[in-house]
Amino acid sequence: MPASQQLLLAATLIFVGALVQALLALKAGAWKQARAQFFLMALGFALQTGFIYLRGEEVRQCPIKSLPDILVFIAWSIVLLYFLVGPAFRLSLLGVFTSPLVTLMQVMAFTNGFAPYKPKGPINALVELHIALALISYAAFALACITGVMYLVQERMLKRHQIGGLFYQLPPIQGLAHAIQRLVRLGLLLLSIALGISFALHLPMTKTGHVIFAWIVWGLYAVISLLMWKHFTSPRKTAWLAVIGFILPFISLWIVTHA
Amino acid sequence: MPEPTDIRSGLVCVGLNYKTTPVEVRERLAFPEAQVPAAVEQVRGLPGFEESVVLSTCNRVELYATHALPSGKDGHAALREYLIERFELQPEHAEALVLYNLDSAEAARHLFRVVSGLDSMVLGETEIFGQVKAAYKVALDTGTTSRSLNKLFQQAFTVGKKVRNETTIQRGSTSVGSVAVDLAEKVHDLKECRVMLVGAGEMSRTCAQSLLSRGAKSIIVSNRSYDKAVELATEMKGRAMKFDEWEHSLHEVDVIISSTSAPHFVIKPEQIDQVMRKRRWEPLLIIDIAVPRDVDPAVNNIEGVYLYDIDALQAIADEGRRERLRQLASCERIIEEQLEKYGFLKSPGSGGLKLA
Repeated sequence: MPASQQLLLAATLIFVGALVQALLALKAGAWKQARAQFFLMALGFALQTGFIYLRGEEVRQCPIKSLPDILVFIAWSIVLLYFLVGPAFRLSLLGVFTSPLVTLMQVMAFTNGFAPYKPKGPINALVELHIALALISYAAFALACITGVMYLVQERMLKRHQIGGLFYQLPPIQGLAHAIQRLVRLGLLLLSIALGISFALHLPMTKTGHVIFAWIVWGLYAVISLLMWKHFTSPRKTAWLAVIGFILPFISLWIVTHA
Repeated sequence: MPEPTDIRSGLVCVGLNYKTTPVEVRERLAFPEAQVPAAVEQVRGLPGFEESVVLSTCNRVELYATHALPSGKDGHAALREYLIERFELQPEHAEALVLYNLDSAEAARHLFRVVSGLDSMVLGETEIFGQVKAAYKVALDTGTTSRSLNKLFQQAFTVGKKVRNETTIQRGSTSVGSVAVDLAEKVHDLKECRVMLVGAGEMSRTCAQSLLSRGAKSIIVSNRSYDKAVELATEMKGRAMKFDEWEHSLHEVDVIISSTSAPHFVIKPEQIDQVMRKRRWEPLLIIDIAVPRDVDPAVNNIEGVYLYDIDALQAIADEGRRERLRQLASCERIIEEQLEKYGFLKSPGSGGLKLA
């Protein structure tokens, strides 16, 4: 196994460890914004970064052209945003909900295998930026999805009067609802910039599958954002939209990389 | 000052608390805050005494001291005499005075339990930690502590933190008021939380006070008797509202506490449905502590509305108390481990003291 994949395997195991540690701490009722959880997530992130660096060296370009590489890049972006968003939005337990998704994406990447890339011509920085921004926007949508799950869990406990261990650790539902809105807006902004770059690059929309899908995803989240902004739907429905909405970008990645 | 005695052999604690002494006696023996510095000096000045800390709260009066007297019993007797003289108790009251007299390991264990909230009326409450810290600081500033009590109290604070960090003794709510606060905190940011009282009963007053003490932004009080509403609103620095107006302001508040004596529902689903549209689906917590209930249970089916009646609140508080009781054994184990670690539980032959 190449060194890059060894790092990724280690990162995956670390994220599994972070999840197990968090679940055990929650079960024991000793969850204290767990420093251990933060440390494990940071370690996993460092290993992910190492993988992306070594993989880039192997394929002699930014490793975001095949589905497994894209999945890892999004997983890396999710953890990056977790560090940026979690403390800023005071979203305790975000790591507990993030680590399963990141683990799943990395396991899927391993299942698909990391094939060598075709040699390519000179690197166009704008193209790389366009792709990277689009993928980071997908990571923001992924975090909106995770926050949506947290909202639905907390909302259910409040409605059913199930005041238990997890209830005390999750943030207030109003804060979660606002975090979903901000994450969707952040993702939409990043995707808008990525699509703006595609205009600058004169990428023909009809002949470039991933741009078409990116526009579809943009349209979906623009509608979700509008519904949130104008309060056309309740926060609960908005949370459901953020959760279900993420299925589309997830599927689109698979389609565009296999087309 | 003479060299302090071995903390394990010269330590005594004499005191009374809510378990041993009724409030009418406790209030007579409480040290006013301003008089505590003088009290610690008086205790330290007793013959044979070296250090002192006086802890005086609404639930307990305790004197911690180190001494070089021949036995712990002499220390207990001296402190008992001090209390009787200090508060000028009549002979019949002095004779009836029930105090606990603890030495060395027992005294240290007691202090560790007090700091951890295990000896409190509300098991696991955290306020006592701050009260002990304040009592120690007064003694430290007055200069009545030295190596032994400094060490003991630092150990006690470490143990208190350890108990809270490694168990969930402080988690969960044990009273209706604290359940209301916990629920409000999980629905809104309390600092932005606007509260409305519909009816000004004693329980709703307690809930509102709990919310305000934890930082709720504002309060509106509406009551059939407008004078009573004004009185309560003034007390809570809020706004009074006539009883026929409260419905029009429902959309402006985030928490409604209802406790009217109406024999029928005063808050109905169709009302709240309109309110939620006006609120643009911002969540609304409704606490119904009236019996018979003020709020139609169907209100809980409306999206974004979280309704808790008195039974629901009581059930959560009961579960909170049970959860804390389940944690008690773990807390006691930590305290025993720490007593051993700090050398209080060594065998008599090795210089320590036996347990009671």
